[in-house]
Amino acid sequence: MHKRLLDFLDVRLGIRDILEQNLTKYLLPKNVNIWYTLGAVLLALLSLQFVTGVLLLVYYVPNPAEAFKSVEIIMNDIPYGWLIRYLHAVGSNVIVIALLLHMLSVLFMGSYKKPREFTWISGFVLFNLTLVLCLTGYLLPWSQLSFWATTVATEAAGAVPLIGDGLVRFMRGGAMVGDATLGRFFALHVMVLPAGLVALVGFHLFCVRRIGISKPPFGEDYAPTEVADEFVHEEHPGGIPFFPNYAIKDLAVISLFLGLLALLVFFAPGLFIPPSAFEPADPFTTPAHIKPEWYFLWAYQTLKIFPSEFLGLAAQGVVMTLLALLPFLDRGKERRPFKRPLFLTCYLLGILLFVAISIWGHYS
Amino acid sequence: MSEILESNQQRRTFLGILLGGVGLVLAGVFTWPIFRFLAPQAETEGGQIRLAKNEVSVGGAHFFSFQGLPAVLLQPQAGDYIALSAVCTHLGCVVKWVADKREFLCPCHAGQFSMEGTVLAGPPPAALESFPVSLEGDQVVVG
Repeated sequence: MHKRLLDFLDVRLGIRDILEQNLTKYLLPKNVNIWYTLGAVLLALLSLQFVTGVLLLVYYVPNPAEAFKSVEIIMNDIPYGWLIRYLHAVGSNVIVIALLLHMLSVLFMGSYKKPREFTWISGFVLFNLTLVLCLTGYLLPWSQLSFWATTVATEAAGAVPLIGDGLVRFMRGGAMVGDATLGRFFALHVMVLPAGLVALVGFHLFCVRRIGISKPPFGEDYAPTEVADEFVHEEHPGGIPFFPNYAIKDLAVISLFLGLLALLVFFAPGLFIPPSAFEPADPFTTPAHIKPEWYFLWAYQTLKIFPSEFLGLAAQGVVMTLLALLPFLDRGKERRPFKRPLFLTCYLLGILLFVAISIWGHYS
Repeated sequence: MSEILESNQQRRTFLGILLGGVGLVLAGVFTWPIFRFLAPQAETEGGQIRLAKNEVSVGGAHFFSFQGLPAVLLQPQAGDYIALSAVCTHLGCVVKWVADKREFLCPCHAGQFSMEGTVLAGPPPAALESFPVSLEGDQVVVG
């Protein structure tokens, strides 16, 4: 039966050739390591977000008068609604963790370098798109936390010279966060951003497959090579087949992350969902010590460190632009981290700075 | 060398079976919550609903939701109340009250029902379901 189905598809679509080229004859470098599984982990987690998001849409009402109540109904009345919502809300945090690890590993191994500039830039945009998805999704429960965190986050754009106020009004759909904000954030969160994300993930994967997986810059076999000025698909003859060898490793790490997500959902959802998330939004009462999500704390604190919000925003812009354009700035062929002391120092200091400013932001 | 390769293959097969098994169990475990999440919530069978008497005028009709389905309350004469299902027994459309004829008309296929719910004309195969009505103070209790 299995063979007959394959034969049927093979005659019409050449399926055996596709499977061979992308699975059994798709060879990865011999020294490929566990960090290369993070892309598959992210695909799995994003798929979970998609499924839980669609399920939540069945009961969620995108209207300020009813949004909070509908989330309460999902949490308290709908069977397993709490599970679906927590998987979605906590899952978004696990995605940000996996994204940061993915980007940090790519940076550490210098995999962003020529000829993989498009892979890096599309990945960087995907990272930012995910953060915007988190921000827009944060408002939807219409709780005190979501209302005021969105107020603070959108207010930051007001620091942009000349157009700042207009920008804030445009983002909110009015002077304050309100009905119009929920409408536009909902449309962005469930339609525009996911569509962009899917398209960009497709482009990112296309880049990865088209140029070939980069060889990890470790081991005695590795030596930096000059990159040709014409298109070359990087082959790894004698390497490890993607299927079944590496696919099993992908599955194992995906299971590990799903286990982490399950642990957080069942035992520590409060880590990402503070008490103010359980109070309905009150536009006339700002709760004390309102803070953005942990992954925005660095940006929040940066705005406070600088003497003016504009300077803080400009500093953030410079850092993000430098990161986005890194492959065009760092053009050396050396990818071994320990042979790049300047990069390694900046890399470690950057991580320390991110963590320190985030902790500062949390306790400030 | 071949022993190492064979041992690696065995480990991979074992891990594959293990992960596949865990995946199947998880898929099974999560199918039930998703089914329950999507399944419609049970309506309270045999429940009662209270309506204010002044919601329906003499000769008029008041439509309301009863046990999750459209229903209608009539007051043919002062103090006399009738409660019926408003779902046509033909294909499930909701009937409308024609006040001047004092009968129901189904707008889908022109089925006609009397104010007691019996079929007067058209394709409906059975009368509209009738619900018990009692009076409590200024309220009408249906069900």
